[in-house]
This record gives sequence, C-alpha cells and structure tokens, in this order.
Amino acid sequence: MALLSRQERRHFPDWDDPSQCIFQRVTVDLDKCDGCKLCTLACPANVLEQYGEKGRKKVRVKADVRGRISCNNCHAICENGAIEATQHYDFVGYYRQLGRGAFAKPRIF
Amino acid sequence: MAERAARVLSVEDPEEVEREAGRSSKIPVVPEGAEWNAVERVMLQRRSIRRYKKAQVPAHLIRRLLEVARFAPSQGNCQPWKFVVVRDPDMLRGMEEFCVEQCRKLSNGLDYATLPAGSLKYRIARTKAKLFGRLQPNMLHPVPVSAVTAIAEGRFMVFHRAPTLILILMDKRGVGVPPVDIGICGTSIVLAAQSLGLGTCWVGFSKFLNDSREWCERLGVEEPYEVTEAITVGYPVGDTTRLIPRETHETVWFEGGKKQILY
Repeated sequence: MALLSRQERRHFPDWDDPSQCIFQRVTVDLDKCDGCKLCTLACPANVLEQYGEKGRKKVRVKADVRGRISCNNCHAICENGAIEATQHYDFVGYYRQLGRGAFAKPRIF
Repeated sequence: MAERAARVLSVEDPEEVEREAGRSSKIPVVPEGAEWNAVERVMLQRRSIRRYKKAQVPAHLIRRLLEVARFAPSQGNCQPWKFVVVRDPDMLRGMEEFCVEQCRKLSNGLDYATLPAGSLKYRIARTKAKLFGRLQPNMLHPVPVSAVTAIAEGRFMVFHRAPTLILILMDKRGVGVPPVDIGICGTSIVLAAQSLGLGTCWVGFSKFLNDSREWCERLGVEEPYEVTEAITVGYPVGDTTRLIPRETHETVWFEGGKKQILY
C-alpha cells in the first residue's frame, strides 16, 4: 500500500514545465491594493512587482517566476487585506501533495 | 509477582501519589471557543522575515533567546547544539558572498530551467538533475532549486542582510535523531523572538558553510560539530502580524472505537 503509485514515485517533475510544477495562486483585490509596495518587500520569493502609472500603482505576480511558496507573508503585511495566496504549490509525480485541505485562517475550537 | 505488579501500579498512579503527598494540582479549564492566548497568538503571528531594518538587536535580547533555547526538549536530554552568533557586518557579508557563490555553482550545473531548452548544456544539466534528484530528493525538490537559482541571479538573499545571525551547530553524536533536536531548539528561538517583537528566518542554506575550510576555521566549526541551521534575527520591515490563511491537513482521529478523518 502506498499513496503514490510506482509510476509517480519514479517521476521527478520537470522544473521548466508549469503543468508539472504548479506554484500556487496569488490573488490581488485591485480595489483594495493601494500600491504601497510593502508586500513586494515581504515576499520571500521576490515574485511580486509594482506596475501602472505613478500614483495609481498596483501589485502583481511577475511573469514566469518559479518558487512561490504560499507563505502568505504578503497577506500578513498588507494593511488593506488586498493580497492573498489561496492555494498551495503542488507537483506532478514524486512530490505530489498529500492530504491537504482548503485554506483557512486559524480556527478557534 | 502479583503483589509486586500491584505495588508498581499504585506507585505509578499519579493521582494516588498526589493524594498520598497531601497535595493536588488542578486541571486547568479552557472553555470551548476561547480566544487565542498570548503564546498561541505569538505562534500564529510568526512569519519568516526576509526584510529587516538596519537597527542592530541589543545583545541582551539575543542572550535571552539563547537562554530560552537552552531549555528546549531534546532526545535523552542530550542537547546536541552549539550556538555561534555573528553580529559583525563584514563577516555576515563574507558569509553571504560565499553561499551565493555556492548557489551559483549549483544552479549553473543543475538548474536546466535556466538554460535554452534542447541545447547540449540543457540536456547535460537535466540528466544530472534527474539523477541527483533520485539520490537527494529533498535537496533537489523544485522549491529549494528555484531558491538556489534566485540567489545565483541576485533576486534573493541567503542571510537577508539581517543584523544578527545565530548559527546552530549540531553535535553529530547526539541521541537518536539530533537534527530534530536542532529544529526544536530553533523553534524556541524563533517563537521567543516573535514575542519580543523581533523577526526571524530559518536559513537551511547555511549548511553550505560546512564546505568552506576558511569559514569553518573562522567560525569554529570543528568535528563533531556541523552547521545544521541558522536563524536570522532583526526588526522586521512593516507590521507582519495579521493572521494568514493556510491549508488544512488531513488528521486521522481514533476515539470511541471509531476512526474519523478531520481537517
């Protein structure tokens, strides 16, 4: 018994194939984002950047960057709650994530 | 035999021992739905901080962190740790440079994603990566590999320009699984730091320092010790205490003769 099939255990995902290395989703609420840039500083993977005209800048995820780690440091530092990672990274094959449920803030029991 | 077994049982019944001693400790009551207490809040607010203010952390606060770490649990109470604290900017810069250079070498030889697809270099790197991946699947996980490349390309730092670095050396002769004890000990450090308004970040790439005879000599890393982890300490840029969402994990729960899956 194993949660990964033999085929999966033998498959190491291709680092340059986004369909095999699925780095998680980061969503930005553009109405709430005031372009303050703090999240770009807090991002451990340095994957966020500012764009847009001066005075109306917003933040987005850079194109073609790997290494987003769903740490949500951007969410922690954002004063407006405008940015959030909503999904964990996942891979095809050997590193496929197991037993992960939905994202949730700390729940009181 | 039976008499002996009964005696052992009675001695090991903690409530009876308490009664015999004429003492009794109360069971603390935490009602359902109670707010997070101060310690839990600190644990939930801890983030891995990679941007620090320039201000140095007062030495007595670092001493405080190490004092807490000294009381961390370890297997057989073996305490297989040794701390090396570096607060000298020149040394920190030198260590950063050395680790960046190691990342450059690693990234160039292995990270085929940075090379033109199909080129000879790409094919060689890819073959090497797939082979080493089998031998070292944890180190060649896609996440650290992308970090190594980010460091090599100057998009990311190893020690994050933190004013203080605590290296945790491990005595390889520790009881059982000493790396676990290093993790537990470091957790005491990062949580205590969070409670004092400090930011921290674990730096596993500090292990590269073991490959430098010069740095081992300067830092005093000698057999049977090796650099296992490092923790950067400083004042974080921005307020990072907003609680964050994270994925739940499957939990298997056995109770009342039933098995449940919880998240």
